[in-house]
Amino acid sequence: MDRKVFFPQKILPYWLLAPQLIITLVFFIWPAGQAAYMSVLQQDAFGASVQFVGLENFTALFDESDYLESMWRTAYFSIAVTTLAMAPALLLAVMADRVVRAATFYKTSLVIPYAIAPAVAGVLWLFMFNPAVGILAWVLKEWGVDWNPALNGGQAMTLVIFAAAWKQIAYNFLFFLAGLQSIPKSLLEAASIDGASNATKFWTIVLPLLSPVTFFLLVVNMVYAFFDTFSVVHAMTGGGPAKATEILVYKVYNDGVIALNLGSSSAQSVILMLIVIALTFIQFRYVEKKVHY
Amino acid sequence: MLSKRGTLKKSFLSLSAVFLLGSAAVSPATAQQRTEIQMWMGLTGQAGELLTKYTSEFNASQTEYRVVTSFKGQYPEQRAAAVAAYRAGAPPHIMQMFDAGSGDMTAAKGAIIPVSEVFKKANLQFNPADFIPPARAYYSLPNGDMLSMPFNVSTAVMFYNKDIFKKAGLDAEKPPTTWPEVIKAAKTIREKNASACGFTTTWLAWIMLEQHGARHNIALGDKNNGKDGSGASLDLNNKANQRMVQTLVDMQKDKSFDYGGRSNDAAAKFISGECGILMQSSGGLGAIARDAKFQFGVGQLPYWPDMVTAGKPYATTIGGASLWVFNAPNRTANEYRGVAQFFNYLKSTPVMTDWAKATGFLPATNAAFKSMQDEGFFTKNPGRDVPVVQLINGRQGPNTGGYRFGRWVEIRDVYHEEVEKALQGKQNAAEALHNTQRRGTALLRAFDAQNRS
Repeated sequence: MDRKVFFPQKILPYWLLAPQLIITLVFFIWPAGQAAYMSVLQQDAFGASVQFVGLENFTALFDESDYLESMWRTAYFSIAVTTLAMAPALLLAVMADRVVRAATFYKTSLVIPYAIAPAVAGVLWLFMFNPAVGILAWVLKEWGVDWNPALNGGQAMTLVIFAAAWKQIAYNFLFFLAGLQSIPKSLLEAASIDGASNATKFWTIVLPLLSPVTFFLLVVNMVYAFFDTFSVVHAMTGGGPAKATEILVYKVYNDGVIALNLGSSSAQSVILMLIVIALTFIQFRYVEKKVHY
Repeated sequence: MLSKRGTLKKSFLSLSAVFLLGSAAVSPATAQQRTEIQMWMGLTGQAGELLTKYTSEFNASQTEYRVVTSFKGQYPEQRAAAVAAYRAGAPPHIMQMFDAGSGDMTAAKGAIIPVSEVFKKANLQFNPADFIPPARAYYSLPNGDMLSMPFNVSTAVMFYNKDIFKKAGLDAEKPPTTWPEVIKAAKTIREKNASACGFTTTWLAWIMLEQHGARHNIALGDKNNGKDGSGASLDLNNKANQRMVQTLVDMQKDKSFDYGGRSNDAAAKFISGECGILMQSSGGLGAIARDAKFQFGVGQLPYWPDMVTAGKPYATTIGGASLWVFNAPNRTANEYRGVAQFFNYLKSTPVMTDWAKATGFLPATNAAFKSMQDEGFFTKNPGRDVPVVQLINGRQGPNTGGYRFGRWVEIRDVYHEEVEKALQGKQNAAEALHNTQRRGTALLRAFDAQNRS
C-alpha cells in the first residue's frame, strides 16, 4: 500500500509556502535588515541628518563599561530565570503527575499564570512588593528586612527574576507534565519490582527520558529571558535603580525609544540577535548530543 | 466553474453598488468636509478626560475643523511614535511634550514650527505676553518668539502630613521653609518614631537638580542655561548640587530621607503615611487630596538661606508640558489655521480657568490667573496659593526661567543613576555629580554632532 501522493503542479508548493515566507520576510527578515542597516548609521531622531559611520556605533558600545556590565547582568539574569522557571516546574509536574484526586483542578490552577501577560505579571508582583502599600513588603518589613527595591539593586533584581520566572513556570509545567505522562508506566513498574526507590527511579529513568523536553524548554526559556522579559522589567523597575536591572533588551529600548539614539540601539539589537543565534546554535550543536531521544 | 465566477462577480458588483449608494445618501447629511487636526497627548486620567472634553467642545463650536485627540503612551513613548510618524511623512499636527523634551524638539529644525509662526501663517494674533512670565521664559526663543504653547504648567512644592507633625511634637501649622529646618523636622520625626521615614521626593532630577537650581538662581550650564542654542556645556558638579545630593545621601542612612524611585512612585510613600514630608509637583495635589487619610498641608519648596542673597529664595521654575506643532510636506495653510484656532480656544480664559481649577495645574495665561485671583480662588483654597506665590510672584533671576539642553531626558536619567549609586553608598555626592557631568557632557556633544548640518 505504498502509494505516493503526487501533485503535478510546479507552482503549487510555492503558493502553499508563500504565507509563511511572507510573514517571515515582512516581520522578521525585513526589520532585522533595517536594524543591521541602521546600526552603521548615525542620525538625529527626526532623520534630518544621516551619515554613514561604519562600525563606530559598535566600537562606542564596547568602549563603554556600561554595555559589558549589562551583558554580564543579562547572563546572570537569564540563567537565574531559566533555572527558577524550570526547576519548580519540574517539581510541580512530578507532584501533579502523582496526584490522583482532583488532578484536573491542580493542573488547571498551575497553568493559569501562563494566561497572564508579562506586564500584568510585573504589575502584580510590584503591588505585592511595593514598599509603601504591598502586603508582602509589609511582611518582609515585619521580619526586619530593610525592603526598598527602588533603592536596593539586589532586591530589585531578585524581584524581577522572580516575577519573570513565575510567569514561565506554568508553561514549563505543561510541557514537563506532558513529558512525564508519555513515559511508559511499564518501565517504572519494572524498576519498582527491582526495588528502586522513588528517587532512583526519578534520576535514572524519568530524568533521562525527559531530556528532549528539558532541552526544548532550555532553549525556549533562554530566549524568553533574553527577549520577552522586557515588559516585566519595564513595568517593575524601568531598568533601575542605578542600572541594576538594565538587561540588554531593556537597554535597546531605553537607548532607542527613550533616548532616540537609533544608531546605538540598532547596533545593540544586532549584537543581541547574534548572541541569541549563537546560543541556539550551541544548544542544538552540543547540548542536543547529550539528549536521549 | 465559469458561471460560478460570473455570479460571484455579479454579487460583488451589486454589493459595491449598495455601498456606493449608501455613501452617496450619507454624504449630504455631513454638510461639508471638516479638516481634521490630529493631536497626540500624554495625559491620562482626569486631566486626559478634560482635554478630550475641551476638544469636543471646540469641535461643536465651529464647523470647519475637527480635532481628534489620541493617547500614544507616556511622553517618551509618544515622542518616539511621533518621530516615527514624522519620518513616515505623517506626523500629528499637535503633540503635547513634557518640559525635559524641549531641547530636543527645538533642535529638530524643519520638524516643528514655532507656535508664533503657526499663528502668523494662520493670520491670527498671537502675543507671547499673554502667558505668565515663567512659562514664556521657558518656552520662548531669545528673540521672544514662542516655540510651543504652554498648556499644563506646574512647579514643585512641599506637602507635609500634619498628623505626623503633631505626633513628632512639631508645629503642624508652621511647615519648615528652609533645608536646615526640613532636615531638623525629618530627624525629629525619626527620633520620635512618628513615621518610618522623614521625607521623600518624586521626580528626583526635576526637583533636586532643576528646581533646586532655579530656587538658588544657579545655572545648569552656560549659554543662558542652554537657551542660546547648541554648543552649551553643563555645569552640574558644583558646590550647591554637591551639598544637596550629600544631604540626601547622609539622610538616607537613618531614613530621615528615604528614596522612593525616579518618577511619581514616591508619592505613595507619603499618601500611605510612611513619610512625613513629600517634595512633589503641585499637580500632584489632586491625588493626595483624594487618597490621603490624614490632614496635610502645603509649603513652599525649601531652600538654603546661605546660598541666596539676603536670605531670600528665588522663584522655582515650571514643569509640565506644552503643545508643539509639527511640520510636514503636505500641510496646508488651512490646517495651521485650524491648529491656531484650537490653540486660541484652549488658552481662552474660561477653558484655562476651568482646567487649572480642576487639575491643580497653574493657569498658563495672565488673564486666567487674574480671573482666578479676582474670584478669590487662591485664598479660598488653602494650598493652591503656594505655587502661585512661589512661581508667578517669586523673585526672578537670570536662571529661574528654565533651561534648554539636548538629550535632557537622558541626562536626567544619568543624574538619577549616579545619585542612586550614591544613595546606595557606592560613591559620594561629589563623585556622583562628577560622573553626571562627564556622561551628560558626552551626551550633549553627541547631540551637537548629530544636529550639525
